[in-house]
Amino acid sequence: MKPLQEWFRNPWLAGTLFVATVGIGVGVGLLLTSVATRKAEARFAYTTKADIAPDESRSEVWGRAYPLEYESWKQTSDTGFRSKFGGSAFRDVLAEDPRMVVLWAGYAFSKEYNQSRGHAYAVQDVRNILRTGAPNDTDKGPQPGTCWTCKSPDVPRMMAKMGDSAFYKGKWSDLGHQIVNPVGCLDCHDPKTMALRISRPALADAFARQGKDITKASHAEMRSLVCAQCHVEYYFNGPNKHLTFPWDSGMTVERMEAYYDSANFTDWVHALSKAPMLKAQHPDFEVFKMGIHGQRGLACADCHMPYKTQGGMKFSDHHIRSPLSNIANSCQVCHRESAEELTRNVNERQEKIQEERILLEDVLVRAHLEAKAAWEAGADSATMQPILKLIRRSQWRWDFATAGNGNAFHAPVEIGRILANGISFGQEARIRLARVLSDKGVKVDVPYPDISTKAKAQELIGLKMDKFGAEKQVFLVKVVPVWLQKAKAREDSLPK
Amino acid sequence: MVAVLGLTLGIGGVVFYQSRAWSYMEDDPKACINCHIMIPQYSTWQHSSHSRVATCNDCHVPHTSLAAKYYFKAKDGLRHSTLFTLRLEQEVIRITEPSVAVVQQNCLRCHGMLNEGVSTSKVVLPEGHGEGHLCWECHREVPHGRVTSLSSVPNARMQLEAPTIPDWMRTKTTENDGVKK
Repeated sequence: MKPLQEWFRNPWLAGTLFVATVGIGVGVGLLLTSVATRKAEARFAYTTKADIAPDESRSEVWGRAYPLEYESWKQTSDTGFRSKFGGSAFRDVLAEDPRMVVLWAGYAFSKEYNQSRGHAYAVQDVRNILRTGAPNDTDKGPQPGTCWTCKSPDVPRMMAKMGDSAFYKGKWSDLGHQIVNPVGCLDCHDPKTMALRISRPALADAFARQGKDITKASHAEMRSLVCAQCHVEYYFNGPNKHLTFPWDSGMTVERMEAYYDSANFTDWVHALSKAPMLKAQHPDFEVFKMGIHGQRGLACADCHMPYKTQGGMKFSDHHIRSPLSNIANSCQVCHRESAEELTRNVNERQEKIQEERILLEDVLVRAHLEAKAAWEAGADSATMQPILKLIRRSQWRWDFATAGNGNAFHAPVEIGRILANGISFGQEARIRLARVLSDKGVKVDVPYPDISTKAKAQELIGLKMDKFGAEKQVFLVKVVPVWLQKAKAREDSLPK
Repeated sequence: MVAVLGLTLGIGGVVFYQSRAWSYMEDDPKACINCHIMIPQYSTWQHSSHSRVATCNDCHVPHTSLAAKYYFKAKDGLRHSTLFTLRLEQEVIRITEPSVAVVQQNCLRCHGMLNEGVSTSKVVLPEGHGEGHLCWECHREVPHGRVTSLSSVPNARMQLEAPTIPDWMRTKTTENDGVKK
């Protein structure tokens, strides 16, 4: 073998080698530049160049950059769809089922409880509902600032300014002039990247207490977690009404009950039975995770915001609604049955759960009235406490099963189990009450009251409905327009 | 000589790292969007019923043997990288003839039992393309849908961004609890 130097004495060979090396160098250099350029390009391709302020709560401003999503989001104002048990139409739930008035005696829910309409009505409906009262000045009225938390993208805007504790602590009416935009873009999206983002601290805090970091969630998980900022069971913790999820030891109906019991938490004392009650909110996310679709790894958005084709474009449908009004894009992506068949399947599950639910409601109405009769007959507190505990357990299960949106579809077996346990606890309470009443010499059954209408039920529990309605009217005519004027003045002063 | 070797390794390493070359050895669909022009395919797949049971590779490379798989990957990969580097990609990316055969075979690989009944009407590929029929001539929405152009899924890239929380939540402290960073 010749030494290297000898090879290079041949000018032709050296020349060729030189040219080849230059060629490879140029090639590799160009390739590297191309890779780098293309990677930089990827940051901007498919991302709209939009300059949205970090606290922009007006969805119409986002809508200029994301018109397809915005236009479909606006359709959440559609109230035209009514399924057998739900939909987006206005439904007076207490009128449809006046038993609930009795179950919530002593609690604001007995005044008014309606089916939730679309996200577009979130702010309007919380102002209209009798439960928020008729505050005629700031620092008045029954509810804390916490009641706004899930209603508006103005909430993360204000929390960023004042901190979450101060936000919760104040009166609901303090923030009426700030919170005007209904649930929208800023609630789920990062204005800079459009990535899904958690904007409510309660969910991140609940994760942290479980030892989990929410910023490590995958995109698929985020497609449910942005919904789980609100569609969950929660309570107002302590005198400062700090919004808290009771998930520390688990997310089943029993684990959350154990959490409340150990915290000695009571939402209200029942006006008839004096039982220390719990009010379930809407554990949609928790129940969904216990059903078959949740267990197979679907996300909320898979059925409630499926892909939609419009013109030549595909995008997530931001018209968030019951999948029953959009079966072709939701159910039928996986299931091959006809829309009629699929609707029938859903209805069947809901009808069967409804049957159990009504059974439990009747048990609870009777239990509350029998407990009231027992107190009146002179029962002592020591005898009543274990019975009232049973009523609390029973109604917590009823409320957990009932308060959610679509629980009976999301996890019919779990909801059936919960209602069965609720009936068992309720009947156990009634057996013990029968003994107490008998001991106190009450020999006739406590009659089931005439609660055939909402008005009769509200009269039974002693609510003065005329007064509430009249006060609300004054509030809506006198106070709300001032809030709106202030909000408009603020928004008009912002850059267009 | 040593200098040349070092230079080659160094530059080669940078190219390897910058182009995320190792990801092409695996089956993670994210490898397919190293080049952003595959984002429409990625997001339409991700929103389809197949995303829970099948990755890109399950359908788009042969599974007859490991050698066949990597040979096909290398062949396709070289073609793709060349076209992408030279900016020769089309606005509407269409499947090539060899890929048609692979995908059809992979449809049958999973759905074979289901299709026994219809195979008599020549919904099989051994006939060769143009002689029989292809699954997706009828099942046109599976799995990417009919709309496939590069500009058909605006804003789809946001799903590649990591989830975040606003800055004020990162730093907040409350009497109760907080996301402590």
